[in-house]
Amino acid sequence: MAKRQLIWRYFLPKIKEKNRKWRIQCRLEEKWLVTCRRFRGRKEMKNNIIIMTTVTIILAVFGVVQQGPSVITAGIIAGAKMLIQVIPLLAAAFVLAGMIQVLISKELINKWLGKDAGLKGILLGAVAGALIPGGPYVFYPIAASFLLSGAEIGAVLAFVVAKNLWTISRLPMEVALMGPRLTAIRYIVTFVFPILVGLIANLFFRNYGERVTEQIKLMQTVGDKK
Amino acid sequence: MITALIILFVLAAITSVLAYKKGDGSHRKGFKIAQKTLISMWPLLIIAFLMAGFIQVAIPPDLIRSWLGAEAGLRGVLIGSIAGALIPGGPYVAFPIIASVVNAGAGLGTAVSFITGWAMLGMGAIPFELAIIGSRFMFLRLALVLIIPPLSGIIVNLIP
Repeated sequence: MAKRQLIWRYFLPKIKEKNRKWRIQCRLEEKWLVTCRRFRGRKEMKNNIIIMTTVTIILAVFGVVQQGPSVITAGIIAGAKMLIQVIPLLAAAFVLAGMIQVLISKELINKWLGKDAGLKGILLGAVAGALIPGGPYVFYPIAASFLLSGAEIGAVLAFVVAKNLWTISRLPMEVALMGPRLTAIRYIVTFVFPILVGLIANLFFRNYGERVTEQIKLMQTVGDKK
Repeated sequence: MITALIILFVLAAITSVLAYKKGDGSHRKGFKIAQKTLISMWPLLIIAFLMAGFIQVAIPPDLIRSWLGAEAGLRGVLIGSIAGALIPGGPYVAFPIIASVVNAGAGLGTAVSFITGWAMLGMGAIPFELAIIGSRFMFLRLALVLIIPPLSGIIVNLIP
């Protein structure tokens, strides 16, 4: 115990000092920009890791209280199983997202999903969302790549919301288990929402959209080489 | 699952070939971006999958079923939206649960808000959203869509 405390007493001030230095240099010098982005990206990542770990622990505790300690192994196994099942999907989705970023030029995306597109961009995003198969680990990388290539927040939100509501790949299953009547009612009632959400986002949250893109850029700087 | 895999692989292959055809090393750049994203994200992704796993086991379906029962009207719509949000996992996990609730006699509006709540606010997708696209996007999306599941349930209830 004492040894551990000693180690902390040794390292903690050094870490703090390093962080402080970086922070000051980030503010002062232009040439530090790249390093600073990495620094801020790491911070972003660290915050995310802390939040998600906390939620996971809360869930685990909730499960243990309700059902006993076997929940912990069951949770880890369920997560690992899911991960192994979707690794091929994940790989394909990331390659697709990368290719989207190199294939589609800034002008093209501006014209179809960006500032010049308006309602057309929202509709196009929604249709793309309805057509793309796969779970959240597939459509979120693609949505992020759209944002990074310069798509507007409304189009990307329409993409995600349409994936949630219009998705075609879920249709057979929904008809089979819910019955055609309920499925039809649900599709009709929720039909307008992707477009509506896209429009509202474009009208009121355009500036916030740029901050969203900025955050994604920061998060991805962690993988940059020095 | 298999069809999704095939479609995605075909899409990835097509885009890769297109990038290769451009002849300026775009395909290599695309792979590099994919690799970079993966390197940036793998710790978060692993935690995301762990979190999704715990969501799956910590919230038993019976709990949600016992909540819903045969609730109808505004109360049913609201409870339906929340219960829907708590259902984890993809359609293969969620639809049987939803179907059992609907068959137990929940109203049409409740059923619709249940499905919509699962599809839009589902907790199963949140870890990945947070890991891949960030908290700002998540908050904006949640703020904009929070009202949709109860609203669609209410609309369905209004239509005779």
